[in-house]
Amino acid sequence: MKSAERIEIDRRYCKGCLLCQYVCKFEVFEPGQERSALDYRMPRVAKIENCRVCGLCETQCPDMVLTVVAKTEGKENP
Amino acid sequence: MKKGRIKVMLGNEACAEAALLAGCRFFAGYPITPATEILEVMSRRLPLVDGLCLQMEDEIAAVVSIVGASWGGTKSMTATSGPGFCLMQEGIGLAVAVEAPCVIVNVQRGGPASGQSTSTAQGDFYQARYGSNGDYSLIVLCPSTAQEMFDHTIKAFNLSERFRTPVIILSDEVVGHIREKVTIPDADELTFVQRKRPTVSIEEFIPFKADADGVPPMPDFNTGYKIPVISQAKSLNGNRGNAKEADENIRRIVSKIEDHMDEFAEVLTYGDEKAETAFVTFGSVCRAARSAVDMGREKGLALRSVEVKTVWPFPDDLVRRALAGAKRIVVAEMNLGMIQREIERVIRQPEIRIELFSKIAGIYPQPQEFLRFLEEKR
Amino acid sequence: MNPLGEKYLRKPFLPFLFCPGCGDGMIVQSFLQAVDDLGIIDDLAMTAGIGCSAWIPVYMHADVLKVLHGRAIPAAIGLKASRPSRKVVVFTGDGDGLAIGGLHLLHAARRNIDMTVVIVNNQIYAMTGGQVAPSTGVGSRTQTTPYGNLEKPLDGCKIAVAAGATMVSRWSTVHTKQLTRTFKKAINHKGFSFIEIISQCPVQTGRYILGSGSPQFNLQWLKDNCVAAKDPSRWGEVEAEGKIPVGDLLQIEKPEFMEEVRRMNRKVKDEAEAKGGDR
Repeated sequence: MKSAERIEIDRRYCKGCLLCQYVCKFEVFEPGQERSALDYRMPRVAKIENCRVCGLCETQCPDMVLTVVAKTEGKENP
Repeated sequence: MKKGRIKVMLGNEACAEAALLAGCRFFAGYPITPATEILEVMSRRLPLVDGLCLQMEDEIAAVVSIVGASWGGTKSMTATSGPGFCLMQEGIGLAVAVEAPCVIVNVQRGGPASGQSTSTAQGDFYQARYGSNGDYSLIVLCPSTAQEMFDHTIKAFNLSERFRTPVIILSDEVVGHIREKVTIPDADELTFVQRKRPTVSIEEFIPFKADADGVPPMPDFNTGYKIPVISQAKSLNGNRGNAKEADENIRRIVSKIEDHMDEFAEVLTYGDEKAETAFVTFGSVCRAARSAVDMGREKGLALRSVEVKTVWPFPDDLVRRALAGAKRIVVAEMNLGMIQREIERVIRQPEIRIELFSKIAGIYPQPQEFLRFLEEKR
Repeated sequence: MNPLGEKYLRKPFLPFLFCPGCGDGMIVQSFLQAVDDLGIIDDLAMTAGIGCSAWIPVYMHADVLKVLHGRAIPAAIGLKASRPSRKVVVFTGDGDGLAIGGLHLLHAARRNIDMTVVIVNNQIYAMTGGQVAPSTGVGSRTQTTPYGNLEKPLDGCKIAVAAGATMVSRWSTVHTKQLTRTFKKAINHKGFSFIEIISQCPVQTGRYILGSGSPQFNLQWLKDNCVAAKDPSRWGEVEAEGKIPVGDLLQIEKPEFMEEVRRMNRKVKDEAEAKGGDR
């Protein structure tokens, strides 16, 4: 089963629509407090351990700001 | 005396022949009297030179598709008359805004609206220059013979490529439908201009940054430049411009033409260059005015006819020079007074009489009527 | 920026001008995935008109001609005529494509010209602030139908089929994988391909018609109302239930216009040359 190393959110372009939270079946995201460069309140990666690297949040983000980085098997990522 | 073949042809046919010689390989049009022959000739001839002619669903599709073909890298043209010309106005503005070389022929007929489909007129004089929305400039040529339909079409393609602008050939039903001798020069006697294409790399290329002549190089689509071409006022990289960028963009596309009029402006004088009475004419009226000048000479009258061949941008200096010494100016046109206004604007001397000899509703002015006008309004 | 964006987006033009949660950005990504899978970015020539969806292709680093309202299809025809090997894709909206641009849609489909027309249908004129569109539902209160829309909406897919399109599909922005697959299919289809995408507009359609401006609510609305029907004969049933059928409606092979006309022209030219003249 895949798991995620991290989820990057490009704060330059995030518009805080929270569709990532909506499409995620595993409750990885929550509304956050930090504001993007466009002054929208960004989502927060609350439960990275839940992430199965399904890629839905990445492919459905309307601003293409999400990148899900999968854990490489059996190794520590730098 | 020009070399080349001599053929007897319709003005409209001469226009199509010239377009083919100039390298036009895409024509999109819509049937409309009295311009239809141009579409029909192109539909027969373009396939023979590996070109494509399409009859579109309306004039709007015709004018926009020639802009598309132009960005595809192909010289393109359309032809219509007054009602279709009205429909094309937004598309003409588009060609200006995206700086697409193309040629649009308007064989004028009676207006307004459907007007008189088979009668000549010159009522689109201002529409040719100001018919689209916003601030812009373009080039408008006025042929008065089948030979000039040919020559001006070659010139139109060259100017459109040189300035990256739509060029309008403002003809009229008489010139479009007259059948007379045309000398078709040998190809090696003609010069054909191609648009500048970029020489720098894709990374260095800034799509709407002009060279010193005010015209940016134009890449064909799918040659690697991947450029955004939008119909909005733009910044140098092609995005929507802020106020300052839009200001610069609009002013540049106007000045790129208007600052270089010496390259193309043309005004001819027929008759006695020192005559105190001068006609001002354009398009088919030039023909009758020449006969009037000749008739006048036989009667001992000194007359000249100033023929404006490039009506827009209006050649103020050339017109003033051609009218120097005239005390009485009779503007002869087939509308209710249009080029008359330009003459009044350009000749601001109260002691010079400027009169209007106007004919509308397809009633072509006869040479003797010019002389009668001079006599009656003495 | 995700890796697909890094590879294909026109960075100096970012951020997308689309509202938060708008479907247009989702379409950019679904389309770019198809372009990446096919490797065709260099052969792509895209046109668009006016409206929110018209900006979709501008954000892609490719050759784009964004023209007047409703005229993206004629511009595309000119580009295709100029070089038929181009992959021509048109992005238009329910207003740009079905109202002012409707006539061009009919005739391009009738001719079966090899191009892909993508109609992004958000059931409203969004860019201008939320006026009624030819696709807006009966009863909707919009900025220009403040007492309720009385007009029956047009079905773009049915029009495309009737006019002669040889590939017609409809999806929604929710169906990202199906969209990418359909984009690839359409680009490879030789003939006129038509893709309607029901897309969310939280700010106009959401607030004025559906009752909420929340992007999540609007995406849920698409999920609830766009019903996938694999069998085109079931589309009538879905409509009778008051839902929007999505799926592949049609794909047939018919002679393609640019190819046919060029074949005919070559024949005419060869015959003329054999006769020794050029008339």
